[in-house]
Amino acid sequence: MPETKKATQAAGEAFLMITETVGGMGVLAGRIVARLATLNVDGAEVWRNLYRMGVKSIPIVIVTALFTGAIMVIQAAPLVERYGAHGLLGWGAGFGTLREIAPLLTALMINGRVGANNTAELGTMVVTEQIDALRVLAIDPISFLIAPRFIAIVTTLLLSTIFADALALFGAAYSGLGLLGVAPGVFYNGLTSGLLGIGDVLGGLVKSIVFGIVMALASCQYGLGVTGGAPGVGKAVNATVVASAAGIFILDYVVSFMLD
Amino acid sequence: MARTVASPTIVPPAQSELRALAPEPTGVAILGARAIELARVGHELYSVFVRTLYYCARGRREPGAILQQMYEIGNRSVFFLTVVMGFIGMILVFQAGLQAKRVVPDLTLLGATYLELLIRDLAASIGALMLATRVGAGIAAEIGSMVVTEQVDALRMTAADPIDYLVKPRFIASVLMTTCLIIWSAAVAFGSGMITAYTAFDVQPRTFMNMSLVDAGDLTIGLAKCVAYGAAIPVVSAHSGLSTFGGSEGVGWATTRAVVNSSLAVIMLNMFISAAGFLVFPG
Repeated sequence: MPETKKATQAAGEAFLMITETVGGMGVLAGRIVARLATLNVDGAEVWRNLYRMGVKSIPIVIVTALFTGAIMVIQAAPLVERYGAHGLLGWGAGFGTLREIAPLLTALMINGRVGANNTAELGTMVVTEQIDALRVLAIDPISFLIAPRFIAIVTTLLLSTIFADALALFGAAYSGLGLLGVAPGVFYNGLTSGLLGIGDVLGGLVKSIVFGIVMALASCQYGLGVTGGAPGVGKAVNATVVASAAGIFILDYVVSFMLD
Repeated sequence: MARTVASPTIVPPAQSELRALAPEPTGVAILGARAIELARVGHELYSVFVRTLYYCARGRREPGAILQQMYEIGNRSVFFLTVVMGFIGMILVFQAGLQAKRVVPDLTLLGATYLELLIRDLAASIGALMLATRVGAGIAAEIGSMVVTEQVDALRMTAADPIDYLVKPRFIASVLMTTCLIIWSAAVAFGSGMITAYTAFDVQPRTFMNMSLVDAGDLTIGLAKCVAYGAAIPVVSAHSGLSTFGGSEGVGWATTRAVVNSSLAVIMLNMFISAAGFLVFPG
């Protein structure tokens, strides 16, 4: 019996920890919305964070998107060869890319780069008592630190996804040319021939906004909750990327079902 | 590296003044610096990889450490991977069903096609991206903390190579456990996909469970991906961890870099193995 008790105890503790984190994210979201509604946000910080998070992420977004497009074509290639449906390649690769893969992979890469980095920075500030120093100076940490990061992460992810959509289709078109001999013109024709609407693109962009909100809340929540020096920062970063990734997949499912 | 609000307290004043005086590199200089940096990191990664392989063959035998890492990397990732792969299975079948219904009303081959794609690519690649996040960040945070608290220097002082003591057990454990975890995650994703196909498109599980499209080529490509990802993730993350510098901020940076670089490694390896697989086993 003691072993089963241990298992239920562990499950209960895990459940409490998850609810605590989700609740904390909810409270944080409420505070951020209150600052945004009253426009009590540091504008200069928003621009600085947009540069650091957005502009500096462009190289990894480019690499990820080009490779993703190529992979989608390679995976569609045996099907296309089997049925000889070269005209449908653009539609086949484009459907999966625009609706699912581009928003998802961009979110995972930005999660690794921006989300983890955000936690590390906030965690370092907590450990070195800089957040307390802000409070002493009567500067609201939420409107000076957290709300600008929230805006910057959501904007970064939305813009990166639009960029990644375009680049992934570009990569897919040229790997289709290299691998299957499908001319890029035929590829783009398959994309725009009516099987794929603007709704599919917008669905992917709605997903990216949802992912951005989760990622921003999780990374700020874990960053502000750091305890215990340098190892504590490492553990918090690890916990953030895991929690954001799980949140991204769960919400991806919810949004996919809600949009159709 | 981007400067942070935290940085003015960490960078000593003399150094930050020097940085302001130094001319900013522009144009071709940035490109050249990036290229040199890339070549240097590539060489270091190669060196870590080769030394890890050397110690796998000639190093100390310590099954205890490997078992402990197998528990850390394998057992502790099972829950996370099960949740993620369960959801991804539902999403993929749902999207594929919608996509197929727009051209052909017949969904009997949905299961067979999905299983082929899962074995050849998606189970390994999405599972490995998740492992890159969880395992990669864990390895870099752990080794990075050891570097910052000078435990790695202590190992070197006692004439013990950190690659032998720290990287080798993680490498062996990761190669073994990534393969096991990816086989498990393929099973989970297929199971949740089967349930979605039944509830959303009325495809009977008996029809969905169709292995006629899976051949030896698909299995070979899938297993090759498992081993390649399992080897790449610990090497890339351990390199990030070992090159940590500068306190708790440094550990954060190392962890970030480990996640980004091992995810990029997975995506690139995926493309190369997929392209090679398509050329070797066409159709």
